[in-house]
Amino acid sequence: MSDAANPKPSPPITADGPAAAGHASVTPRRSMTRQVIGETLTHWGARLGLVWVVALVFMAVFAPLIANSQPIAVRVDGRWSSPMLVHLGALDVTLLVTFFAAAVLVMLRRIAARWRWLALLGVVVVTGVIAGLTVSVPQPVVHAQWRVAQAEGRAERVVFAPIPYSPNDRVRDRVRDQSIDAADLKDVGPWWAGHPHNHWLGQDPLRQDVASRMIHAARIALGVGFIATGIAMTLGILIGAPMGYFAGAVDLIGMRLVEVFEFIPGLFLLLIFAAFFPGDYPEIIPGLKIQRIYLIMGIIGLTGWAGYARFVRAEFLKIRKQDYVQAAKACGLPLRSVLFKHMLPNGLAPVLVSASFGVASAILAEATLSFLGLGLNEDPSWGKLLDQAVKSGTFIWWIAIFPGAAIFLTVFAYNLIGEALRDAIDPHTQR
Amino acid sequence: MPEPKPLLQIEDLAVSFPGKGERGRPAVRTQAVDRVSMSLFPGQTLAVVGESGSGKSVSALSVLRLVPTPPGHYDRGRILWRDEKHGTVDLLTRNEKQMRSVRGNQIAMIFQEPMTSLNPVYTVGSQIMEAITLHRAVTRAEALAITERALRDVGIADPAQRLKEYPHQLSGGMRQRVMIAMALACEPELLLADEPTTALDVTIQAQILELLRKLQQEKGMAIMLITHDLGVVAENADVVAVMYAGRICEYGSVLDIFDRPMHPYTRGLLASMPVLGKATHRLPTVMDAATIPGDFPEGFIVAPHVENPHPVDGYGGAAARLYEVTPGRWVLCTPAPGHDATPTLPVLDYKRDTMAATS
Repeated sequence: MSDAANPKPSPPITADGPAAAGHASVTPRRSMTRQVIGETLTHWGARLGLVWVVALVFMAVFAPLIANSQPIAVRVDGRWSSPMLVHLGALDVTLLVTFFAAAVLVMLRRIAARWRWLALLGVVVVTGVIAGLTVSVPQPVVHAQWRVAQAEGRAERVVFAPIPYSPNDRVRDRVRDQSIDAADLKDVGPWWAGHPHNHWLGQDPLRQDVASRMIHAARIALGVGFIATGIAMTLGILIGAPMGYFAGAVDLIGMRLVEVFEFIPGLFLLLIFAAFFPGDYPEIIPGLKIQRIYLIMGIIGLTGWAGYARFVRAEFLKIRKQDYVQAAKACGLPLRSVLFKHMLPNGLAPVLVSASFGVASAILAEATLSFLGLGLNEDPSWGKLLDQAVKSGTFIWWIAIFPGAAIFLTVFAYNLIGEALRDAIDPHTQR
Repeated sequence: MPEPKPLLQIEDLAVSFPGKGERGRPAVRTQAVDRVSMSLFPGQTLAVVGESGSGKSVSALSVLRLVPTPPGHYDRGRILWRDEKHGTVDLLTRNEKQMRSVRGNQIAMIFQEPMTSLNPVYTVGSQIMEAITLHRAVTRAEALAITERALRDVGIADPAQRLKEYPHQLSGGMRQRVMIAMALACEPELLLADEPTTALDVTIQAQILELLRKLQQEKGMAIMLITHDLGVVAENADVVAVMYAGRICEYGSVLDIFDRPMHPYTRGLLASMPVLGKATHRLPTVMDAATIPGDFPEGFIVAPHVENPHPVDGYGGAAARLYEVTPGRWVLCTPAPGHDATPTLPVLDYKRDTMAATS
């Protein structure tokens, strides 16, 4: 199965091979990364998990195309226009550009992976900055041109997104049965469960479409998972690597720091911070306001690095005694190169395994915060939906089950991937 | 003809590590290397012989300043290196940046375990090329050409293909060849070979040593060969330094040492070697055969061999130094009472080839 995942043929055994040196070219030529990925993917759990995560990525990137109350295309008086495109935000643009840039870079196999990663990073930064400076979303208006045109019958074609509701769309509603009073709050469940409104997963108490909110919330879930874990991992590596490499006093001080951070209950710290900085744009230091979601990511990252530092330290303590590290030093390589080029790739495997579990727990942490009402206010989030399910006095099953299932499946998927990754890496570390 | 100057001269080097203090007694630092002096001339092979823990590797690592400090500590001594640009420099006083230009570039090192001395995550070629591009101002294409040539030099067929392979695809002998290619790619003047053949089987051992000898002749570099295999010493060395418990106990040309060992430990070591074709019921142990020769040069007293030397005084006693007891032969001993002698640094510009030509 792993061979199917890696179609590279094994190198031919040449007849004039160096028999004297006893060369055996039976192992196919592939790097350890490829081997580990190949082996991870032989686990069905990892495949299922990956399918779900990829589906989430698609949802997150293409959210404005999947769930949007602005039609994708409108034909008025013979001219096509796209209100959807006009209403794309800076984040939407950045995500879409990044996605396609990544797709193109994956195709370019001839360029070294390092340059492709750098190019992708460049694309993200450049589009992020340009979009942030230039893209401005027009204020939503009730009497948008296309609506007026549609009402007057001038619109020849209106192509809606599969879910024709934006996540924060509270005003308009399309009722399947026009005779029913749209203002009745009790009956806003999914249409297939006998409710009159045209919503796949029902509406929340604010009359916002649950399906649309959930799709847009995939961004938050993925973003929190990856960025918070990324921050924690980077910090963990930067602190753990010198600890393991230098050992001695550096290690002693570093480990005490790790212990201090491990003793702080992360969730409560998170709660305190979240309560300390209320609002959508909290002012973390005087004069600097950031989006609340970034604050949450930052706090989860800043409190979670201790575990990674422990892992990296343990690995580096082991690896620094290896001959190839001595050899790298004997070659005259600078410390930076020895640490991060020669030692880090060999010690990264267990860190990545714990990172995949870390992504899951970061998603849970964000959901917990939102559920407790300390998370995001305006932006959709799965945890916030759960909160709404119980807050309105009566238990609204459709807002509880679907986001709950989404959280469960995502956490489960990451745990499956982490488990498979651990299994794949184990025999390699035991060499 | 002017006196040739040694390429490397280690003078009175001492390196210690923290030891475990026994109950009620303060910790005594373990002297891994104690008053070690040796010298190497261009094109010469110096074999450092001794059992595990005798300080061979620490001596070699000290030359590149690769002994981790702490826990290790350079207590004393100088390591003089004849640098083309800077004249003679003491490597122990160089800073880290200056050392990096010496490591790999002027002095290279190969390690005992070919299985673990290549980084498993990079291809063989990229590891060699990294060393080349670090020390030489070359383009990628040039570095690739040098890498291919280096691999061909060490007897690897089809180097263009091999350099794309990962270490785990190569056999032990191949990996050690790659290590040698990597060490020699920057054309160092001195190669520190820390038991380069210990982990290999006997036929591959012979090939690797043959290869080192060939490359040494071609490039005229000096080799410090660290080994515990006396057969390897007899075959390859010009000058031998025998070490025990961190001290050099005998230093001399390979012929002298094998013909007429003077220090009890050397005698014990040589006597405990099996001789081909000679039937022996039991080989003598080092301890059994470590006798003091009856014809030990007058005026010097050599201490008998002990297995656990005094932790403070060290092997041979506190006053023991290397004295040139006969011309070209240094032995760890003390001058007899009433005799006057000064300990000297062992400097021996002896090369086996010139000897072979004259005899």
